Amino acid sequence: MRTHIKELRARYNLTQEDLAKKVGVRRETILFIEKGDYNPSLQLAHAIAKALQTTIDELFIFDEEEHLRP
Amino acid sequence: MKGKKEIIVSTVVVAGVLLTLFFYLMSTGEIEFNQIVLVGIALILVGLAMYIIWDKIRNVQKGLPEKDERTISMSHKAGYYGFIAAIWSAVFSPVIIDIIFGYELNGGDVTAIVVLVSAFVFVVSYLYLYWKGK
Repeated sequence: MRTHIKELRARYNLTQEDLAKKVGVRRETILFIEKGDYNPSLQLAHAIAKALQTTIDELFIFDEEEHLRP
Repeated sequence: MKGKKEIIVSTVVVAGVLLTLFFYLMSTGEIEFNQIVLVGIALILVGLAMYIIWDKIRNVQKGLPEKDERTISMSHKAGYYGFIAAIWSAVFSPVIIDIIFGYELNGGDVTAIVVLVSAFVFVVSYLYLYWKGK
């Protein structure tokens, strides 16, 4: 899974720590979501999308092949 | 506030373990090799636990939560791996020690091995998941 979090953070001049504080998670969690190493819960994805004034659909890019793999 | 309480309790537990190890070593006259190994593993575990506590304190000081959904999920996974390790070590440690060293473990030894192995697997898998991000 890829995300547009980094680009949107830059647009709103937010650091990973700022965004983490806004959504109530640790900074590393934002880092791993950005890198695609951690899939957030729907609740957290919604909170991040809201903080970055966008939608979940626009924020996260799902690789369907990756999801179909067992 | 809840996070701070957990950090204080964890710090007290670590200090308690260190004190227990200190008194254990002081009361033991002649220290055998297996005791050195067990105390060494316990000290490694204490060191890793101190790192986890320090990391939590660092987050709280920055105004970030000491745990979130990722760390909770990591704890659950690491706990599962620790549980599996406890079962396997309880079953196989007496057999393996008997085959390799020809020494029959008593109940206390097996309990000590199970506790140390499961704690070691828990802490190592927690840190692995912490650095890997999953």
